[in-house]
Amino acid sequence: MVPFKLILELILSTLLSLGRMFTAYVLSLIIAVVTGVAMAKNKYIESILLPILDILQSIPILGFFPAVLAIFITILGPVTGGEISSIFLIVTSQVWNMIFGVYSSIKSLDPSIDQLISVYKLPLIYRLLYIYIPASRSSLAANSIISWAGGWFFLTSAEVISMGRIEYRLKGLGSFIISAFENRDTVAYTIGLLTLFIIILVSYLIIWNPFTMRYTGVKTLLGFMRIYGVIEKAFARIWSLIIEKLIMAYSVIRGKIIVIQLYFLIPPILLYLYHTKLTLMTNNLYSEITKYGVEFLWALPLTLIRVYSTVIVGLVLSILLAYISHTRFKLGVLIVMLGEILSSIPAMMWWPILLPILRGFPYGVMMFVYLQGSLWYTFFNILLFGVSSLKENILELSKIYGIRGRYYLLRVFIPSLLPSILAGGLSASGGAWNASIAAEYFQVGGFIVDMGGVGSLLYKQTLAGNILGVLLTSFLMSLVIIFINKTIWARVLKKISGYYVIE
Amino acid sequence: MLSSRGDIIEIVGVSKSYVSEGREIKVLEDISFSVGKEFISIIGPSGCGKSTLLRIIAGVEKPDSGRVIFHLSRKPIIGFVFQFPTLLPWMTVLDNVILPLIASGVQKSRAIEKARTTLKIVGLSEFEDFYPSELSGGMKQRVNIARALAVEPDILLMDEPFSNLDPLTAESLRGEVLDIWLSSILPIKSIIMVTHNVEEAVLMSDRVIILSPRPARVLKIVDIMVPRPRTRKMPEVQELVDKVYEYVS
Repeated sequence: MVPFKLILELILSTLLSLGRMFTAYVLSLIIAVVTGVAMAKNKYIESILLPILDILQSIPILGFFPAVLAIFITILGPVTGGEISSIFLIVTSQVWNMIFGVYSSIKSLDPSIDQLISVYKLPLIYRLLYIYIPASRSSLAANSIISWAGGWFFLTSAEVISMGRIEYRLKGLGSFIISAFENRDTVAYTIGLLTLFIIILVSYLIIWNPFTMRYTGVKTLLGFMRIYGVIEKAFARIWSLIIEKLIMAYSVIRGKIIVIQLYFLIPPILLYLYHTKLTLMTNNLYSEITKYGVEFLWALPLTLIRVYSTVIVGLVLSILLAYISHTRFKLGVLIVMLGEILSSIPAMMWWPILLPILRGFPYGVMMFVYLQGSLWYTFFNILLFGVSSLKENILELSKIYGIRGRYYLLRVFIPSLLPSILAGGLSASGGAWNASIAAEYFQVGGFIVDMGGVGSLLYKQTLAGNILGVLLTSFLMSLVIIFINKTIWARVLKKISGYYVIE
Repeated sequence: MLSSRGDIIEIVGVSKSYVSEGREIKVLEDISFSVGKEFISIIGPSGCGKSTLLRIIAGVEKPDSGRVIFHLSRKPIIGFVFQFPTLLPWMTVLDNVILPLIASGVQKSRAIEKARTTLKIVGLSEFEDFYPSELSGGMKQRVNIARALAVEPDILLMDEPFSNLDPLTAESLRGEVLDIWLSSILPIKSIIMVTHNVEEAVLMSDRVIILSPRPARVLKIVDIMVPRPRTRKMPEVQELVDKVYEYVS
């Protein structure tokens, strides 16, 4: 018998975690719409924010987190501060691809719609509510699947936060499972994990999958359309109420609307300035910088090789799975559903499963964590959006002329998927960099494995509460990522897309 | 010249250039003409700047020099028929038509009333709850026209409104637009239509303004004094078509 108290605890924890997830998701939506629209419609904002976002989505958020946490907790106390930091961390795992989704769907909006806007002088609020938001709907739906998984993946890290020697635990499903694991409470651990699986599965089946199927051409998903219909109706009612109120508010303050778009970036920046100042005063800056620079250079090659081999493995795996799911529809649906669940399993949950393997084969575990942080970007991009955007006429052409097998894979299938392969590949390399911090250094119970590399360096600096080190290492890492993205990656993309992309 | 003129729009010395890849391209050069209570067609080779001129009249673009003056007691209301239907795919036909009205502060119930009137005029009353993807090309263009009429425009601007339709649909829509114009059920004072179809211009308008290749200048203004209804087979129509063709080519 499972004790009643435990069940109550579990329900409460689940509700709290879900609350965090939805709050973070709504925040991410708002940030994505405001930032995406501002970037797509204002060249100045675009030129500033595009490179910044490029970096933000590639740097290891986990490494920056302690600093964010410190400020929130100092200012707001452990309860509110902890809650806000955890939501902040979940947002940082959801928001980037959503911003890029909104940005690109508004960028690719038919230019005649701009004419319509200027001829009939539609005010900003009308443009947002009637044009930009509905225009972003399908890309938001598509990206929500990835973001939702990203959110769960970081959930436990957001609920069990350690900073130096101090650890904060927020009540929630993630911390429930971790505590159960630590206390060797098998019953609690099992039902906790089971609840997590069920919640993830249900949220996909009744919300994200139907949402994506309705607004994109994707068919390879499982979902309960009828239940979703009820949810959507309720949401539509709330949305039309919001529109009504906003329009009413607008008619009161007509013409006095100020868009606040950069504010969300300010707190972390202030935070760092605040902290670095403290550290700088007590340290000899020059020798410190040299020290961290040398450490970074030693660690860099390892991480470089790991990151890009992860991306390549992820690409090959995704393309193969895409090919299987394209040739066998039912199997495809199953593969995607499995992917949705696997991608959502929080990072920390893997430890109990991986621990036995860890002792004998740490390298495999490291690559597994790397893949878990990176594979899903290529997986969803290629399997969901690539495969469903394959052109009918090209498939027909292949059928008529009997193009099959290897030739079909190399000459028709892969080239047709290139746009989503490229988009997924770029996000996946960001994801892999981000995963390096969790992959290269693990500490489970009293057992420590240090695989070296930049991620491990960052993790150790984080554990030591060395803010200057974290800041400098992340900065150098960002430089490397920008350099690679802007030179090698951008050039490869340009060359490939010039040859292969089918109009 | 037609007797019912009395200028409503005056276009005075309008010039416009664009900078493309560091080079300046002159599009319009010293364009002047006036428009009365009439239907005017602007014709010229493709890429000569006809659409730019229309956008300048609509107030969407500013000319480098020159002015567009409206002789109306208030700010003119402009209706614009786009070359492509430009309907928002996530909105029903009715919502698409009321959008400009709502945005200009008309109450929703009043906007719906106006939209229904113009949807009836273009024969789409029964389709107000349809989404654009459920309509044929001709029906979409009708919604485009209904939206322009719903604002009860003083001036109706049309940018190659029939160029992307099949010939039969184009023909019947031309007839409908003319009927709306001639029946005076709406308070439209002037219509300016950009086209590259010489026959269409001669069959529909009171005057045809012929522009030269880039940079566009006014080459010639041809009065079409043929009484309506006009048909292609009328010798005077054919003569005028030939005359306009001579200038265009």
